[in-house]
Formats: sequence, C-alpha cells, structure tokens
Amino acid sequence: MIEVKNFTKIYHLSKKQMKEQKLKASQKVAVDHINFIAKEGQIFGLLGPNGAGKTTTLRSIATLLNPTKGEIIVQGFDVTKNPTEVRRRIGFLTNELKLDTHFTPAYTMSFFGKLHSMSAKDIDSRTEELFEYFGIKDFANKKISDLSTGMMQKLSIAVSLIHDPEVVIFDEPTNGLDIITARAVTDYLQKLKERGKLIIVSTHIMTVAEKLCDKVAIIIGGKKVADGTILEVLNQTNATNLEDAFFELYKENVGEGV
Amino acid sequence: MLLNIISKELKRVFSDRRLVISTFVIPAISIYVLYSLMGNMMGNVLGDIERHTSIVYVSNAPQSFSNYFDTVKDTYNMEVDFGDYDKNEFTERIRSGEVDLLVEFEDQFDAKVASYSDSNQSPEIMTFSNPSEDYSNEAKNNFVFDILEGYEKEILTDRFGNINYVKAFDVDATNQESAILDEKKAAASGLGMIVPMILAIILFAGAMGIGMDTIAGEKERGTMATLLLTPIPRETIALGKVIGLGIVAIISAACSFGAIIASLPNMLSSFGGEGVGPIGLSFSILQYVQLFVIMITLVGIYVGLICLISVRARSVKEAGTYMAPIYMIIMIAAFSTMFSKSGGVALYKFAIPVYGSVTAIKEMFSFELSLMEFGVTSGVSIIVTAIIIKLITKTFNDEKVMFNA
Ligand SMILES: Nc1ncnc2c1ncn2[C@@H]1O[C@H](COP(=O)(O)OP(=O)(O)O)[C@@H](O)[C@H]1O
Ligand SMILES: [Mg+2]
Repeated sequence: MIEVKNFTKIYHLSKKQMKEQKLKASQKVAVDHINFIAKEGQIFGLLGPNGAGKTTTLRSIATLLNPTKGEIIVQGFDVTKNPTEVRRRIGFLTNELKLDTHFTPAYTMSFFGKLHSMSAKDIDSRTEELFEYFGIKDFANKKISDLSTGMMQKLSIAVSLIHDPEVVIFDEPTNGLDIITARAVTDYLQKLKERGKLIIVSTHIMTVAEKLCDKVAIIIGGKKVADGTILEVLNQTNATNLEDAFFELYKENVGEGV
Repeated sequence: MLLNIISKELKRVFSDRRLVISTFVIPAISIYVLYSLMGNMMGNVLGDIERHTSIVYVSNAPQSFSNYFDTVKDTYNMEVDFGDYDKNEFTERIRSGEVDLLVEFEDQFDAKVASYSDSNQSPEIMTFSNPSEDYSNEAKNNFVFDILEGYEKEILTDRFGNINYVKAFDVDATNQESAILDEKKAAASGLGMIVPMILAIILFAGAMGIGMDTIAGEKERGTMATLLLTPIPRETIALGKVIGLGIVAIISAACSFGAIIASLPNMLSSFGGEGVGPIGLSFSILQYVQLFVIMITLVGIYVGLICLISVRARSVKEAGTYMAPIYMIIMIAAFSTMFSKSGGVALYKFAIPVYGSVTAIKEMFSFELSLMEFGVTSGVSIIVTAIIIKLITKTFNDEKVMFNA
C-alpha cells in the first residue's frame, strides 16, 4: 500500500531557473497538499496536464526527492526515514532513467540483480523470464548501444523489474513508445496487477488511463481535484468519458480559457 | 556490494578501447619519448662535462697538500693553480662560470693539523663553487670527495697510523658562502627534482579524463539515478567509485612509471646535481614502500576530488570547466616544490595536501625524507580523502545537485 498524506513539494529555484520559467518568486509549489491511497492488485493512475506535479509525486514516492511537507508511506516504510527499505520494494520506471549503453543487456541485468542482493540463480531465471516476455533474448549479449530505441526501452523496464518488486511505479508508461511496444508494456502491467502487485502510473493521456487504471487521482496545478474509480469520477462530473470529465474539472478549477 | 560496483567501474574502463588508449597507452608512450629525449640531452651534457678540464685555484696550500696532489694529479682532468688568492675577487668569476672552483686552506694548516686534538677546533678547508654550473659541480665533487678524502687518509695514516682514528680537518664547516649560486638555474638543475613533479601531474591527468567520463557522463546520460534507486548505501556507491577510479589511476600511473623505467637506461647516467640521488637502483625496500604509500594516498585525494567535481557537475562539459582550475592548482603545487631546496623543509609544509606529497617524493629521491615527514604527509592525505568521500556521499543525497531540484 502507498499512502500519500498531505504531500507538498516546494522547489527552490536558482536565478537561472527563475528566468527560464519566467517566474518572479524564488519558490515553486509543485505539489500542494495532496492525499491518496493506492492498494495492491490495483493500477492507480495519477492524471493531469504537463506541469501538474505527476513526476514530482512519483519521484518522491521512489525516494529520489524528499517531501517538503507531509509524508509518504510505501509498504509501511516512510520514504524519508527508511528510504533503503522502500527502494528494496519498488521498481521505478521513467524515460529519464537510462542504462550505460556500453554494456550488454545480460551484464546489466546481472549487475542490478546483484545490487538487489539476488542470487545468481534468481537473476538467471528472472532475466530469462523478462527477456522472453519483452523479446530481448536474441540481443542479450549485444552492446546496448546497438539496440533499437524500442528495445532499449523494453530493456530498461526489464532492468527496473529484475528484483520482482511489490510496487511498480511508472512515469508516463506509453510516452515515446511505438504502438506495439506500448501495448506490450500495458499488457505487462495488467499481468503484474493480476499477480497482486501495486502499480502506480502517471499519464496526461486520458484514453490510456481509462483503459488501464482501476482508480485515479486527477491533479491540476499541484492540487488534487478529483479521485476515485473511473466510474466515480465520471459520475462526479456528469461526463461519459474520462477526457470530458477532465475538461469539466479543468474548467471548474482553472477557468474557461482552455 | 562494494566489489560489484568496483568491478563494474573497472569493466567499464577496460572493455572500452578508446578509454584504454587515452588513459594507459598514450601517457606511457609520451613519457617514454619525452624522457628518452631528455636523457639523451642530459647524456650529451654529461659527456661534455667529462671532457671539460676543470679550472681550479688553490689558495694558501700547505706543503703536505702540494706534495700529495703531485702524486695524484694525472688521474684528474684538472688545471690547478696554487697561490695566494683573494676570495672576493673570485666570487664573480665562479658565478659566471669562468672559474670552476676555489679552494682555500686555513693559515698554518700543517701546524694546526699536527696539534689538533678533540678539544680544539679542527683546521678547515673552504671551497667555493657554483652548484648550478655542471662543470663547477663536477670539479667540486671530484676535489672534495676524491682528492681531499685521499689527502685526509694520508695525513691520518702518517700522523696517527690509523685512518679510522679521527678526522684530520673539516671541509666547509663554518663556510657559509661555499655555494655561489645563480638562483634560478640552481632551482631548475637536476632531473630528480622534475620526476616527482611530473609523476604528480600524470597521476592526476590520467584519472581526470576517465573520472569525468565515467561519473559526470553517468549523471549526464541518466544512468546515475538508476544506481541511486537500488538499495545500496550511498557511502558504498561513493567508495566504489573512488576505489574503482583509484585503481584505474594507479594502473595508469604504473604504465607511466613503467615508461620512466624503460627510458631509464637513456637517462640513468644523466642524473646529477645537488642533492639528487640516483633513481631506481639504490632505493631500499622501505623507500619503495614509502613511495608507494605516498602515491596511493595522493591518488586518494586526486580521485576523490575528481569524483566530487564530476558528481556535482551537470554534464561532462561542466565538469571540465570546474576541473581546469583544480588541475592548475595541482600543477602549481607540484611545480612550486621545485623551488624548495631539498633538506630542511619545514614540517608543516608536509601537511599541505598535494604539495606535501610531491615534496615528500622529492625528499625521498634525495634520501632526506624522515619518518615523521612521511607520516605527516600520508596521514594528511588519508584524512583529506576521507573528508572528500564524506562530501561525495552527501552530494548523492542532495536532490538539488542530483536531480536539479
Ligand atoms: N527540478 C525542478 N526545479 C524547479 N522546478 C521544477 C523542477 N521539476 C519540476 N518543476 C516544476 O514543478 C512543476 C511540476 O512538474 P512535474 O512534476 O514535472 O509535472 P508533470 O510531471 O505533471 O508534468 C512544474 O511547474 C515544473 O516546472
Ligand atoms: Mg512528468
């Protein structure tokens, strides 16, 4: 279970960042007191437009950033007080995390497996399973730099999942993937859910969320504006699909200027 | 865990042909070529010195010395004038290199030697030479260590019947002006002064390129965050990086050192000059151990600094920008040891990171490094390295630096 309580993240901006983002203030409230709970056997979706605070939230859950206020508990461990225990239990996937392209997929899997204290036997069987599923087998001993982009993305997913984590966090799972790879990824997330894992994804594409997620939280400008099952959100907004529901919420909270 | 990280770092470097060539092969080859050239140049100079006839003036020589000198003079390529000379007149001639050596015997030398006992001052012979001139140096060394030594033995056997009995006289015991120096030249003389410095610089240069590539590059390419997501303590990651890079730096330095040894035949003969011992051959085991410890601890500081800068930089390019001034400081620290004379270096100077290590290596080459100085240098380096590793660990936990947040 992931419990996010009153989570707030404030970035302190450098002079250069203030100029780049055309901001006068030296602080940016990226996430503003949000609460939600995500449970095992569910795919939880964090939805919102660009800049809403999705990546910030997921990075904080993954212990890469510290909450400014509030707390985040993952499988009973606080992300600031016990980050190592949290890291043992999560797999964090995003486009910004990369692999050293100088090594082979097989070596990379075994390196990260060892860092997760896995035995050689476990690493082998897990690698076999993931490479089989994502079709990396034939490329296992090629240099990563020789793989296609899609193959590289599938490999980084496999690497993040080497230790078979209880919690899978995926920032924009289908971003930048071709239609076939994207399908393989969403199918795999469904599979993980069936195995009782907790999956939390972020996306700004409502149609993806509608198909994939059991529960969602919609955030706009760092504030949570709605949450619940897809049906609950549709009922709240009297909409027939999630995209309409989102624009309804957007109008309510930001104004008409869409 | 630590071993995993170290072995990955090493695999990263050694399986990359580009890195291997730039870190190990090129520095070694350039050193071999450079040193061989230097050795040949020095060799030419040396041959020239041997052919040169030393111009020596001996003032106030006692009868016993002129007699002794007559028996040995054919073995030396030396033109000696006996007479009564004014030292002040000769100072400028020695400085300019026109005269190689002036030797001045004390008045009544023979009588004083005869009546000398432990209770009173032994008679003195003063020499005046210019250590920065190779000819002058050679003349002085021959005169003091060969001719005067032989002369003293003869006196002792004559007077006391036993050469081990007592000394007969002092050379330059009270003479403050023995060395008539051309300061700038003096500082630069002797290859043995340059070797520690070059060693200090190649050690840094070898680790610098690869450190930026593997660490700042890792951050830039986004592979560092992947590592930070594993349940490995940050300390282990920092230590693994530092040790991995340290091994690379040491192997790189060893290649360079091997190149120095390989070029040694070309230049062994050319080591000379004030306070510079022959290199390589006459070191004791203890000295090799000391050299190794000083180098390892120096590498610790270097690699720590390189890692710290690379971790803090946002890109390889930015790391390069930060690295340039550090490299300058290292070079200045190394170069500035050239101007300190060997022997009698104040203890606190050994406590200055980098500078102290280079000074210690230099002192070691001239056999003047005390255990205390050695301890201070290595101790300080170890402490500095530990502090830097602590700082790297802190940086790993700094979200502003790691994630620009
Ligand atoms: N490192 C950072 N420093 C300063 N501001 C940031 C940083 N990262 C994100 N922000 C700001 O925080 C807000 C939320 O960003 P983010 O969490 O990336 O949104 P999303 O993933 O929903 O697009 C944005 O306004 C963004 O400009
Ligand atoms: Mg984002």
